[in-house]
Amino acid sequence: MINGTVVDLSRIQFAATALYHFLFVPLTLGLSFLLAAMETVYVTTGRPIYKQMAVFWGKLFMINFALGVATGLTMEFQFGTNWSFYSSFVGDIFGAPLAIEGLMAFFMESTFVGLMVFGWQRLSKGQHLAVTWLVALASNLSALWILVANGFMQDPTGAAFDPVTMRMRLTSFQDLIFSPDAQSKFVHTSIAGYVTGAMFVAGVSAFYMLRKRHMDLAKRSFRIAVLFGVLATIGVVTLGDALGFVDAKAQPTKLAAMEALWHPEPAPMPFNLIAFPSQAQQRNLGAVRVPGVLSLLVTHSLDGTVADISTLEQEAQQKIENGIPAVQALKTLAHNPQDPAALAQFDAHQADLGYGFLVQRYAPHLSQVTPADIEAAAKDSIPPVAGVFWSFRIMVGLGLLMLAFFVLSTLYSLRNKIERKTWVLKVAVWMIPVPFLADEAGWLVAELGRQPWTVYGVLPTWMSASTHSVGYMAFSLIGFVALYSVFIVVEMYLMVRAIRIGPGEQGGSGGGQAQPRPTLAPRAVPAAPYGSKLEG
Amino acid sequence: MRSFLYFVLFLMIAVIVTVLAAILGDEGAWYFAWLIGTTMIVLVSAAGGAMMDAHEEQLAEQQRAEAGRRG
Repeated sequence: MINGTVVDLSRIQFAATALYHFLFVPLTLGLSFLLAAMETVYVTTGRPIYKQMAVFWGKLFMINFALGVATGLTMEFQFGTNWSFYSSFVGDIFGAPLAIEGLMAFFMESTFVGLMVFGWQRLSKGQHLAVTWLVALASNLSALWILVANGFMQDPTGAAFDPVTMRMRLTSFQDLIFSPDAQSKFVHTSIAGYVTGAMFVAGVSAFYMLRKRHMDLAKRSFRIAVLFGVLATIGVVTLGDALGFVDAKAQPTKLAAMEALWHPEPAPMPFNLIAFPSQAQQRNLGAVRVPGVLSLLVTHSLDGTVADISTLEQEAQQKIENGIPAVQALKTLAHNPQDPAALAQFDAHQADLGYGFLVQRYAPHLSQVTPADIEAAAKDSIPPVAGVFWSFRIMVGLGLLMLAFFVLSTLYSLRNKIERKTWVLKVAVWMIPVPFLADEAGWLVAELGRQPWTVYGVLPTWMSASTHSVGYMAFSLIGFVALYSVFIVVEMYLMVRAIRIGPGEQGGSGGGQAQPRPTLAPRAVPAAPYGSKLEG
Repeated sequence: MRSFLYFVLFLMIAVIVTVLAAILGDEGAWYFAWLIGTTMIVLVSAAGGAMMDAHEEQLAEQQRAEAGRRG
């Protein structure tokens, strides 16, 4: 059995690298479409200020993009190094979207990013605009594929376990990419990136306006950013609600943890606005509740109810009991893949195979499993409630704070009063970290809420890790954290430096006009030194 | 001839978009919503920038007209 400390260190390492990486990704997703908006205005109006804006914000986009790629690369390798059983178990499904994501990011996205940055003097206005739109599209499409892969981990559709090969195989690519979880997760995450980009541009523009620097650029950037932000925040809240609706069906344990709902309650169910969940005591140590709101939020009706933790634990016990014969059948099939009795036993119990694996943590030999083992494994099927509960509330609270900020800023910007509202501008500067915190909290809700599974209901986390030593994991974890901290410092330094310098002269020379290709002038060829000798 | 080629190009794009919309609308409603929503967000924010220019031009014109009346 894999050492529990190794599993925990593997989880911490993946969480640390993912959380670092997720500081860069949302800004790339949002800033790319903001660049597209600015350049669209430039091409349609021909005003050079919009080109200056696109060039300036494009420079900040590039700094962020480069460090985002650097931090993302190692994560893909971690699946192989630290999660080798997981990779072997679901690689046939997980590998395809991950490979497409790599192709999108490194071929399509990087190619067009190069053209966008170096193409100002080479491409016509229209061509450059098309390239900028393609950068935005490619950035978000690469996010789509990684979220399709993540959607499979949250709600494994389009796949089935093959008892002959002892791993999962893809049964429907269409079901994989169109799974409700993948869809709602992609739109929610992508648009959360738009909010991040909008807040970043609004905050930096506000900084310039407070300093009375680059006013033309700052005012226009602020206007575009707050309009972009207000629409995106409305979108992210709406799509978050949709994701919650999907999760209620696909991952009831995550939803129960998000709401710290320990015991059944009649409809309309109250919403725990603030609570202090105790997993050991299976209750909340104090809570502020709003009557009727939970039913309304999750089921969109006052009659609807949400599954509670105690009920879900009882269901998990039944699933574990049903899953044990499936795992026992696999042991027989490992020696004889065609054993008809084992195949029949597996078919009858395969729906709960993952729950059979879950109890093996407590009873490696399933013939000796006790009711206490089953009860302990059933309790494990609930994610860490306090972490999920508070991450969710931080995400939602910060989202609503940003919505209020964007609505107010849009009003002042549309009335052309924003320059005089210095307090709003100061708030805008202080709001820059807020979407990043909300993004990180959202990641925690999604991934902490999926525990104890790497693939929900199919593969427990404790089985998924590689068999490394504790020393190896601790050493590599320290290495990653140190390296990524350096990346963050480098990013902050380069960003702050670029912002302090501000927009320079507009990039390119031809106002977006296509430049003629340099022609190869005929060169004077020196006479061959031995020519005369050859000629005689 | 050039107009005709543009017409054919845009017609082809329209057909592809319609087919994609029909498939996406059926199989992946949220993906379709993302495409429409993102385009709308970008265009509305771009229009906001252009509106600021129009407003500033209008103000400058008013100021010029007032200066002309005084002068």
